Amino acid sequence: MKEKKKIGSKIFMALMMIFFYAPIVYIIIFSFNSSRSLTHLDGFSLRWYEKMFSDRTMMQSIVYTIVIAVLATIISTIVGTITSIGLSKSKPILKKTVEQINNLPIMNPEIVTAIGLLMFFSALGAKKGFVTLLLAHIMFCIPYVMLSVMPKLRSLDANLADAAMDLGATPFQALTKVIVPQIMPGIVSGALIAFTMSFDDFIISYFVTGNGVSNISILVYTMSKRVNPSINALSTLVIFIITVALIIVNVIPIIKQKKEKRTR
Amino acid sequence: MKKILPIALSALLLMTGCSGGGKTATEDPIEKYGSDKLKLFTWGEYLGENVISNFEKEYGVDVIVEYFDSNEMMYTKLQAGDAYDVIVPSDYMIQRLISEGSLQELDKSLIPNMDNLTDGVKNLAFDPDNTYSVPYFWGSVGIVYNKNNVPKDLIEEKGFEILRDTDYAGDIYMYDSERDSFMVALKALGYSMNTTDDAEIEEAYQWLLDLNSTMNPAYVTDEVIDNMMNGTKDIAVVYSGDATVILDENEDMDFFMPSEGTNIWCDSMCIPTNAENPLLAHEFINYILTYDASYDNSITVGYASTNDEVLNEIAENEYAENAAYLPRDGYDKDEVFEDNETMRQKLSQLWLKVKAQ
Amino acid sequence: MNQFKRMAYPYVAWIAVMILAPMLMIVMYAFIEKGNDVTTFRFTISNFTKFFSDKVYIDVLYRSLYVAILTTIICLLIGYPTAYIISRAKPKHRTWLVLMITFPTWINMLVRTYAWLGILQDNGIVNTILGLFGIGTVKIIYTNFAVILGMVYNFVPFMILQIYSSLEKMDKSYIEAASDLGANKYQCFWRITFPMSLPGVISGITLVFLPAVSSFFIPKLLGGGQYVLIGNVIETQFLTAGNWSFGSAISLIMAIIIMISLYITRKLDTDPAAAKGGA
Repeated sequence: MKEKKKIGSKIFMALMMIFFYAPIVYIIIFSFNSSRSLTHLDGFSLRWYEKMFSDRTMMQSIVYTIVIAVLATIISTIVGTITSIGLSKSKPILKKTVEQINNLPIMNPEIVTAIGLLMFFSALGAKKGFVTLLLAHIMFCIPYVMLSVMPKLRSLDANLADAAMDLGATPFQALTKVIVPQIMPGIVSGALIAFTMSFDDFIISYFVTGNGVSNISILVYTMSKRVNPSINALSTLVIFIITVALIIVNVIPIIKQKKEKRTR
Repeated sequence: MKKILPIALSALLLMTGCSGGGKTATEDPIEKYGSDKLKLFTWGEYLGENVISNFEKEYGVDVIVEYFDSNEMMYTKLQAGDAYDVIVPSDYMIQRLISEGSLQELDKSLIPNMDNLTDGVKNLAFDPDNTYSVPYFWGSVGIVYNKNNVPKDLIEEKGFEILRDTDYAGDIYMYDSERDSFMVALKALGYSMNTTDDAEIEEAYQWLLDLNSTMNPAYVTDEVIDNMMNGTKDIAVVYSGDATVILDENEDMDFFMPSEGTNIWCDSMCIPTNAENPLLAHEFINYILTYDASYDNSITVGYASTNDEVLNEIAENEYAENAAYLPRDGYDKDEVFEDNETMRQKLSQLWLKVKAQ
Repeated sequence: MNQFKRMAYPYVAWIAVMILAPMLMIVMYAFIEKGNDVTTFRFTISNFTKFFSDKVYIDVLYRSLYVAILTTIICLLIGYPTAYIISRAKPKHRTWLVLMITFPTWINMLVRTYAWLGILQDNGIVNTILGLFGIGTVKIIYTNFAVILGMVYNFVPFMILQIYSSLEKMDKSYIEAASDLGANKYQCFWRITFPMSLPGVISGITLVFLPAVSSFFIPKLLGGGQYVLIGNVIETQFLTAGNWSFGSAISLIMAIIIMISLYITRKLDTDPAAAKGGA
């Protein structure tokens, strides 16, 4: 019985992975297509990569996208987590109000948030560019972090933190050594979602940026006129960069461990 | 470890920023124009491969390019007060901007290359004397069809009515734009595409409803280009510039402009009133009209050039066999779009009803 | 405990500015006559009556809700088992599996949707493979199926992440205790595991349903321009028709509908919590 279940799970997961990665494989394969077609493979070629690397705007937009996404994720994760913890100890009415307000950017069609922010920044006379872009991203990322962290806080055993403080821990220690570790899965998934939302954002970014600052999504959207296969090359490059980053992040601790073993 | 990140970041930005520098101008741009930055707001993929970099090198300036993919998106950003030096809207949008006082009058003495303009783009209704705009690309709207499956004489006989020929049901692409689709319907019925007559519009609406229910069309925008290149369907309503590219890649396809007349469109360069660097803007417009820049633009993008020499050169050589490149000139049934606020709202609502059935 | 609640105050100040102020501008637009000029303020509800007076808008709204609900249900049906399997995997495998699920979401949504277009197209990959088996062209693109596929593909990782984080740090001792007391696997799951994962399920539903209702790009690309959803209508109002007032009004109507449905969903969450509080 257990064997059947395990195989069933494995098959299910395999199917899911095929589902998730079919488009990704497609993108990579077609980025090397020698013709413009998106349905027929006509031969191997690097022309789309050449086109992409020679395009200054494309390269700059990759940098901007990553920088904004990383900054927005870090800031919104920290602020979101702190606020969630604070709210979990606040009066229920404050908590409910903030939750409702937080839902607004998630629930509104992005065009509405985009126009709202556009009007808002214009009314303030703010010059649009990197700063307004970052502010907008932080604004819509934090609700996602909070949406991830709050449920974990709800399932938390409130007594543990109290017990820690009774035993002599400072509030800060109770926070970092008791509460945070317990809600860590929520924080991590919140950060992941925030990163995705920022990395992929188009319409809000389009309307709040200026001064030549653009991100990958804006570029892809405005360049999809002739269904430019360079966007496949661009995406493949992004896939490559992320894969390398992930490998580095996972390999470094292993190398560190091996070093420590040797020095012992 | 902590220090590496900012250094790497700045190195990356520097690397990507450097590929466009290399200023070799002889005059100091700041002295001549007041600034060495030009902000250009144009359509995505509307520039030749070396147009911007050559301009930057020749004049020793930096061009910041931002893109839009529809006039309305451009308009929204302009409304919010964003300042650009050169924008490239379409005919009806230019008309609207002029009426709102958003464009400056051009100093023609700074744009001597306007003499290079081809006759087809002179005296267009939205800006007859080119007081505010200088044409950049132009073209028409027509039908791309598969020569092997659709007989040429059938298309010539039916014009836009071919889109309601049930023999081709499920095999057509309509453009997902109320302006263009109503244009097709009105022209097929023999009316002006700028009509404000309610009865005529109602007829056009019924025409489109009929098409929607009997022909099972696919409403697409730019995906039509790739699809027709692959011959996914047999008939499509396409802009002439896009058709040029399709015909170039797929020999089975041909292009037809109906005898009932069609829409002639024109995208032109303008300078908004709040431009920060109008002198450099004029210089850029003048530069685009040079033979080299116009040729680069037209050959890369596939749209018809507004430079007379370039237009004829390409029509006679590169695209001699391509029926889509050269727009029809001087045909009295062809019209340019006029901007009308009430019509815009009305057509938008009717179009929604057509699609949502 | 009191000192913790002060931590929330800075953010509360932030949202008053960054979220509420822009929203207020939208609300204002919904109630003024079309003109894009806030100075000619004339209060009117004509934008709202316009929406309800024309059947086509209601139809579009129904279709949007239908697509969003269907997408959410399918995401739940596929997402829960996936999250469950991952939570049962060996610890070192878990991180990798989560990363593998999230990774595709970092590739631009447009590009991934275009990829599906290429795969499902009449002369695309799927049909080419079917052709090898002698099966004729299957029309997948521009159907409901294609749209739901694209939507589920886009949103299911969020559902999985939410449910997984709920399941992962769940105290397994509850389940051990229950099975010691004689409960079988089925009872363990439905009476203990599932209720304890409910907060994750609720936030997963929220994360999928809300954006799904207002999405328009995926349906437009995979369903064709004829697949009109409320998101398309709003976008058209803001961009093509230039009617910000009407667009804002529709957004408000949608917002209210969504808030009501969220309220109902939240009710489901408070009941198990109350039961747990008593335990």
